[in-house]
Amino acid sequence: MLRHPSFRRGLRDGFLLFFAVALFGVGFGVLAVQAGLPPWLASLASVVIVSGAAQFTMVGLLAAGPGPVLIAAAGLALRHVPMSAALSRMIGERARQVRAALAWVLVDETFGLTVNAARRGEEDLVAYKAAVDLELYSGWVTGTVLGAYVGAGLDPARLGIDVLFPLLFLGLAAPLVRSRREWVTALAAVAAGVMAVVVLPPAWRETGAAAVAAAVGAAVRE
Amino acid sequence: MSDLALILAVAAITYASRASFLLRPAPAHEGRSGPFLRLFPLALFVALATVGLVAPDGEPAVTPALAGGAGAVVGAIVTRRSLVGVVVVGAGFFYLVRWLVG
Repeated sequence: MLRHPSFRRGLRDGFLLFFAVALFGVGFGVLAVQAGLPPWLASLASVVIVSGAAQFTMVGLLAAGPGPVLIAAAGLALRHVPMSAALSRMIGERARQVRAALAWVLVDETFGLTVNAARRGEEDLVAYKAAVDLELYSGWVTGTVLGAYVGAGLDPARLGIDVLFPLLFLGLAAPLVRSRREWVTALAAVAAGVMAVVVLPPAWRETGAAAVAAAVGAAVRE
Repeated sequence: MSDLALILAVAAITYASRASFLLRPAPAHEGRSGPFLRLFPLALFVALATVGLVAPDGEPAVTPALAGGAGAVVGAIVTRRSLVGVVVVGAGFFYLVRWLVG
Protein backbone atom coordinates (compact mmCIF):
# COMPACT_ATOMS: atom_id res chain seq x y z
CA MET A 1 0.00 0.00 0.00
CA LEU A 2 2.77 2.48 0.94
CA ARG A 3 4.32 2.16 -2.53
CA HIS A 4 1.02 2.59 -4.37
CA PRO A 5 1.21 5.75 -6.53
CA SER A 6 -2.31 6.85 -5.52
CA PHE A 7 -1.48 6.37 -1.84
CA ARG A 8 1.69 8.45 -2.25
CA ARG A 9 -0.23 11.21 -4.03
CA GLY A 10 -2.74 11.15 -1.17
CA LEU A 11 0.10 11.52 1.35
CA ARG A 12 1.48 14.46 -0.64
CA ASP A 13 -1.90 16.21 -0.96
CA GLY A 14 -2.79 15.64 2.70
CA PHE A 15 0.57 16.72 4.11
CA LEU A 16 -0.45 20.27 5.04
CA LEU A 17 -3.80 18.98 6.27
CA PHE A 18 -1.98 17.02 8.98
CA PHE A 19 -0.54 20.18 10.53
CA ALA A 20 -3.68 22.32 10.13
CA VAL A 21 -5.88 19.62 11.63
CA ALA A 22 -3.38 18.95 14.43
CA LEU A 23 -3.52 22.62 15.45
CA PHE A 24 -7.30 22.46 15.38
CA GLY A 25 -7.09 19.26 17.46
CA VAL A 26 -4.99 21.11 20.05
CA GLY A 27 -7.81 23.66 20.24
CA PHE A 28 -10.36 20.91 20.80
CA GLY A 29 -8.24 19.24 23.48
CA VAL A 30 -7.81 22.51 25.37
CA LEU A 31 -11.53 23.40 25.17
CA ALA A 32 -12.71 19.90 26.10
CA VAL A 33 -10.62 19.89 29.28
CA GLN A 34 -11.76 23.42 30.10
CA ALA A 35 -15.37 22.20 29.68
CA GLY A 36 -14.78 19.53 32.31
CA LEU A 37 -13.84 16.39 30.40
CA PRO A 38 -10.82 14.50 31.75
CA PRO A 39 -7.94 14.44 29.22
CA TRP A 40 -8.34 10.74 28.46
CA LEU A 41 -12.02 11.24 27.59
CA ALA A 42 -11.24 14.26 25.41
CA SER A 43 -8.67 12.12 23.56
CA LEU A 44 -11.10 9.21 23.25
CA ALA A 45 -13.67 11.56 21.67
CA SER A 46 -11.25 12.32 18.84
CA VAL A 47 -10.40 8.63 18.42
CA VAL A 48 -14.01 7.46 18.07
CA ILE A 49 -15.95 10.46 16.67
CA VAL A 50 -13.39 12.04 14.26
CA SER A 51 -15.55 15.08 13.56
CA GLY A 52 -14.40 18.55 14.53
CA ALA A 53 -17.87 20.03 14.05
CA ALA A 54 -19.60 17.39 16.18
CA GLN A 55 -16.93 17.44 18.88
CA PHE A 56 -16.74 21.23 19.27
CA THR A 57 -20.55 21.33 19.37
CA MET A 58 -20.64 18.55 21.96
CA VAL A 59 -18.19 20.40 24.20
CA GLY A 60 -20.09 23.67 23.75
CA LEU A 61 -23.40 22.03 24.75
CA LEU A 62 -22.03 19.72 27.44
CA ALA A 63 -23.54 21.79 30.24
CA ALA A 64 -26.98 21.70 28.52
CA GLY A 65 -27.22 17.91 28.87
CA PRO A 66 -27.31 14.97 26.45
CA GLY A 67 -30.55 15.92 24.61
CA PRO A 68 -29.27 19.08 22.88
CA VAL A 69 -25.91 17.40 22.18
CA LEU A 70 -27.54 14.43 20.42
CA ILE A 71 -29.95 16.61 18.42
CA ALA A 72 -27.07 18.83 17.27
CA ALA A 73 -24.94 15.78 16.44
CA ALA A 74 -27.76 14.38 14.30
CA GLY A 75 -28.12 17.70 12.47
CA LEU A 76 -24.41 17.89 11.76
CA ALA A 77 -24.28 14.23 10.71
CA LEU A 78 -27.02 14.64 8.09
CA ARG A 79 -24.58 16.06 5.56
CA HIS A 80 -22.62 12.80 5.66
CA VAL A 81 -25.54 10.95 4.06
CA PRO A 82 -25.24 12.50 0.57
CA MET A 83 -21.43 12.50 0.98
CA SER A 84 -21.64 8.76 1.65
CA ALA A 85 -23.83 8.25 -1.44
CA ALA A 86 -21.49 10.33 -3.62
CA LEU A 87 -18.37 8.52 -2.39
CA SER A 88 -20.08 5.16 -2.89
CA ARG A 89 -20.72 6.04 -6.55
CA MET A 90 -17.13 7.25 -7.01
CA ILE A 91 -15.39 4.13 -5.71
CA GLY A 92 -17.69 1.61 -7.42
CA GLU A 93 -17.64 -2.06 -6.44
CA ARG A 94 -15.51 -2.58 -3.33
CA ALA A 95 -15.47 -5.07 -0.47
CA ARG A 96 -17.75 -4.31 2.45
CA GLN A 97 -14.87 -4.02 4.92
CA VAL A 98 -13.14 -1.48 2.65
CA ARG A 99 -16.33 0.59 2.52
CA ALA A 100 -16.73 0.33 6.30
CA ALA A 101 -13.17 1.60 6.78
CA LEU A 102 -13.65 4.50 4.34
CA ALA A 103 -16.74 5.59 6.26
CA TRP A 104 -14.72 5.95 9.47
CA VAL A 105 -12.98 9.16 8.35
CA LEU A 106 -15.56 10.48 5.89
CA VAL A 107 -14.99 14.11 6.83
CA ASP A 108 -15.38 17.29 4.77
CA GLU A 109 -11.67 17.79 4.11
CA THR A 110 -10.76 14.25 3.00
CA PHE A 111 -14.01 13.99 1.03
CA GLY A 112 -13.12 17.23 -0.75
CA LEU A 113 -9.62 16.09 -1.64
CA THR A 114 -11.05 12.78 -2.88
CA VAL A 115 -13.65 14.52 -5.07
CA ASN A 116 -10.89 16.63 -6.60
CA ALA A 117 -8.72 13.53 -7.11
CA ALA A 118 -11.63 11.81 -8.86
CA ARG A 119 -12.05 14.81 -11.14
CA ARG A 120 -8.34 14.56 -12.04
CA GLY A 121 -8.84 10.89 -12.88
CA GLU A 122 -6.94 9.43 -9.91
CA GLU A 123 -6.09 5.80 -10.57
CA ASP A 124 -7.16 4.28 -7.23
CA LEU A 125 -9.47 6.47 -5.14
CA VAL A 126 -9.53 4.04 -2.22
CA ALA A 127 -5.73 4.13 -1.83
CA TYR A 128 -5.77 7.92 -2.26
CA LYS A 129 -8.47 8.45 0.37
CA ALA A 130 -6.82 5.98 2.74
CA ALA A 131 -3.69 8.15 2.68
CA VAL A 132 -5.45 11.48 3.30
CA ASP A 133 -7.62 9.80 5.95
CA LEU A 134 -4.51 8.50 7.69
CA GLU A 135 -2.95 11.97 7.79
CA LEU A 136 -6.10 13.70 8.96
CA TYR A 137 -6.83 11.07 11.61
CA SER A 138 -3.29 11.02 13.00
CA GLY A 139 -3.14 14.83 13.04
CA TRP A 140 -6.52 15.14 14.75
CA VAL A 141 -5.80 12.57 17.45
CA THR A 142 -2.23 13.74 18.05
CA GLY A 143 -3.33 17.37 18.33
CA THR A 144 -6.15 16.51 20.71
CA VAL A 145 -3.87 14.48 23.01
CA LEU A 146 -1.35 17.34 23.08
CA GLY A 147 -4.05 19.92 23.76
CA ALA A 148 -5.75 17.83 26.44
CA TYR A 149 -2.59 16.91 28.36
CA VAL A 150 -0.21 19.84 27.88
CA GLY A 151 -2.26 22.57 26.19
CA ALA A 152 -3.48 24.54 29.18
CA GLY A 153 -3.06 28.24 28.39
CA LEU A 154 -2.73 27.72 24.63
CA ASP A 155 -5.20 29.38 22.26
CA PRO A 156 -4.72 28.13 18.66
CA ALA A 157 -7.68 30.25 17.51
CA ARG A 158 -5.49 33.34 17.96
CA LEU A 159 -3.34 32.12 15.08
CA GLY A 160 -6.34 32.32 12.74
CA ILE A 161 -6.12 28.64 11.83
CA ASP A 162 -9.92 28.35 11.79
CA VAL A 163 -10.08 30.65 8.75
CA LEU A 164 -7.88 28.30 6.73
CA PHE A 165 -10.64 25.66 6.57
CA PRO A 166 -13.22 27.85 4.76
CA LEU A 167 -10.43 28.88 2.38
CA LEU A 168 -9.58 25.21 1.79
CA PHE A 169 -13.23 24.54 0.92
CA LEU A 170 -13.23 27.44 -1.55
CA GLY A 171 -10.08 25.98 -3.08
CA LEU A 172 -11.77 22.59 -3.38
CA ALA A 173 -14.90 24.13 -4.91
CA ALA A 174 -13.12 26.32 -7.48
CA PRO A 175 -12.21 23.59 -10.01
CA LEU A 176 -15.70 22.08 -9.77
CA VAL A 177 -17.41 25.19 -11.20
CA ARG A 178 -17.48 24.94 -15.00
CA SER A 179 -20.98 24.63 -16.43
CA ARG A 180 -23.97 26.92 -16.05
CA ARG A 181 -25.56 24.40 -13.70
CA GLU A 182 -22.47 24.41 -11.46
CA TRP A 183 -22.34 28.22 -11.42
CA VAL A 184 -26.00 28.30 -10.36
CA THR A 185 -25.27 25.73 -7.63
CA ALA A 186 -22.28 27.70 -6.30
CA LEU A 187 -24.16 31.02 -6.26
CA ALA A 188 -27.17 29.34 -4.64
CA ALA A 189 -24.87 27.88 -1.98
CA VAL A 190 -23.50 31.35 -1.17
CA ALA A 191 -27.03 32.80 -0.90
CA ALA A 192 -28.34 29.82 1.07
CA GLY A 193 -25.26 29.90 3.34
CA VAL A 194 -25.86 33.57 4.20
CA MET A 195 -29.57 32.89 4.78
CA ALA A 196 -28.77 29.84 6.89
CA VAL A 197 -26.54 31.90 9.19
CA VAL A 198 -29.50 34.18 9.86
CA VAL A 199 -32.37 31.69 10.18
CA LEU A 200 -30.95 28.27 11.16
CA PRO A 201 -29.28 27.05 14.37
CA PRO A 202 -25.53 26.40 13.89
CA ALA A 203 -25.77 22.61 13.66
CA TRP A 204 -28.11 22.73 10.64
CA ARG A 205 -26.58 25.57 8.61
CA GLU A 206 -24.12 23.85 6.27
CA THR A 207 -26.32 20.80 5.65
CA GLY A 208 -29.42 22.91 5.00
CA ALA A 209 -27.65 25.36 2.70
CA ALA A 210 -25.91 22.61 0.71
CA ALA A 211 -29.13 20.60 0.27
CA VAL A 212 -31.03 23.67 -0.97
CA ALA A 213 -28.23 24.69 -3.36
CA ALA A 214 -27.80 21.16 -4.78
CA ALA A 215 -31.57 20.93 -5.31
CA VAL A 216 -31.60 24.32 -7.07
CA GLY A 217 -28.69 23.26 -9.27
CA ALA A 218 -30.31 19.91 -10.06
CA ALA A 219 -33.44 21.74 -11.25
CA VAL A 220 -31.41 23.71 -13.83
CA ARG A 221 -31.15 22.25 -17.34
CA GLU A 222 -27.64 21.39 -18.48
CA MET B 1 -26.07 9.81 30.83
CA SER B 2 -22.34 9.75 31.58
CA ASP B 3 -19.84 11.69 29.46
CA LEU B 4 -18.42 8.40 28.13
CA ALA B 5 -21.88 7.20 27.03
CA LEU B 6 -22.55 10.57 25.40
CA ILE B 7 -19.29 10.42 23.44
CA LEU B 8 -20.07 6.89 22.26
CA ALA B 9 -23.61 7.94 21.25
CA VAL B 10 -22.27 10.89 19.19
CA ALA B 11 -19.73 8.54 17.62
CA ALA B 12 -22.48 6.06 16.72
CA ILE B 13 -24.68 8.76 15.14
CA THR B 14 -21.72 10.14 13.17
CA TYR B 15 -20.55 6.75 11.92
CA ALA B 16 -24.08 5.63 11.01
CA SER B 17 -24.53 8.69 8.80
CA ARG B 18 -21.14 8.15 7.15
CA ALA B 19 -21.74 4.47 6.49
CA SER B 20 -25.37 4.93 5.40
CA PHE B 21 -24.75 4.53 1.66
CA LEU B 22 -21.24 3.09 1.71
CA LEU B 23 -22.47 -0.14 3.28
CA ARG B 24 -25.28 -0.68 0.76
CA PRO B 25 -24.83 -2.21 -2.68
CA ALA B 26 -24.56 0.51 -5.32
CA PRO B 27 -27.79 0.98 -7.33
CA ALA B 28 -27.71 -0.26 -10.94
CA HIS B 29 -28.70 3.17 -12.27
CA GLU B 30 -28.47 6.57 -10.66
CA GLY B 31 -32.16 7.59 -10.94
CA ARG B 32 -33.48 11.05 -10.16
CA SER B 33 -31.03 11.62 -7.32
CA GLY B 34 -28.07 11.57 -9.74
CA PRO B 35 -27.86 15.32 -10.53
CA PHE B 36 -28.41 16.19 -6.85
CA LEU B 37 -25.62 13.86 -5.70
CA ARG B 38 -23.25 15.08 -8.41
CA LEU B 39 -23.80 18.71 -7.34
CA PHE B 40 -23.89 18.10 -3.58
CA PRO B 41 -20.07 18.17 -3.04
CA LEU B 42 -19.78 21.55 -4.77
CA ALA B 43 -22.78 22.90 -2.84
CA LEU B 44 -21.37 21.60 0.44
CA PHE B 45 -17.89 23.11 -0.07
CA VAL B 46 -19.32 26.53 -0.95
CA ALA B 47 -21.80 26.38 1.96
CA LEU B 48 -19.05 25.37 4.42
CA ALA B 49 -16.88 28.26 3.19
CA THR B 50 -19.71 30.79 3.25
CA VAL B 51 -20.89 29.91 6.76
CA GLY B 52 -17.29 29.80 8.04
CA LEU B 53 -16.42 33.21 6.59
CA VAL B 54 -19.69 35.03 7.33
CA ALA B 55 -20.06 33.72 10.88
CA PRO B 56 -16.63 32.50 12.06
CA ASP B 57 -17.73 32.54 15.69
CA GLY B 58 -21.27 31.33 15.07
CA GLU B 59 -22.93 34.72 14.63
CA PRO B 60 -22.83 36.91 11.49
CA ALA B 61 -20.04 39.48 11.77
CA VAL B 62 -17.78 41.65 9.61
CA THR B 63 -14.31 40.24 10.29
CA PRO B 64 -10.99 39.86 8.41
CA ALA B 65 -12.28 36.39 7.43
CA LEU B 66 -14.42 38.11 4.76
CA ALA B 67 -11.25 39.64 3.30
CA GLY B 68 -9.83 36.12 3.24
CA GLY B 69 -12.84 35.01 1.20
CA ALA B 70 -12.37 37.89 -1.25
CA GLY B 71 -8.69 37.03 -1.49
CA ALA B 72 -9.55 33.41 -2.22
CA VAL B 73 -11.71 34.51 -5.17
CA VAL B 74 -8.82 36.64 -6.44
CA GLY B 75 -6.49 33.68 -5.93
CA ALA B 76 -8.84 31.43 -7.95
CA ILE B 77 -8.80 33.89 -10.86
CA VAL B 78 -5.08 34.65 -10.78
CA THR B 79 -3.87 31.06 -10.31
CA ARG B 80 -6.48 29.44 -12.59
CA ARG B 81 -8.31 27.73 -9.71
CA SER B 82 -5.26 26.15 -8.11
CA LEU B 83 -6.11 24.80 -4.64
CA VAL B 84 -2.84 26.05 -3.15
CA GLY B 85 -3.22 29.41 -4.92
CA VAL B 86 -6.71 29.93 -3.51
CA VAL B 87 -5.66 29.10 0.05
CA VAL B 88 -2.38 31.07 -0.03
CA VAL B 89 -3.83 34.25 -1.56
CA GLY B 90 -6.92 34.03 0.67
CA ALA B 91 -4.78 33.56 3.78
CA GLY B 92 -2.55 36.45 2.67
CA PHE B 93 -5.54 38.78 2.43
CA PHE B 94 -6.86 37.54 5.79
CA TYR B 95 -3.58 38.06 7.69
CA LEU B 96 -2.93 41.41 5.98
CA VAL B 97 -6.35 42.80 6.91
CA ARG B 98 -6.12 41.36 10.42
CA TRP B 99 -2.74 43.06 10.86
CA LEU B 100 -4.06 46.36 9.45
CA VAL B 101 -7.13 46.48 11.70
CA GLY B 102 -5.19 45.24 14.70
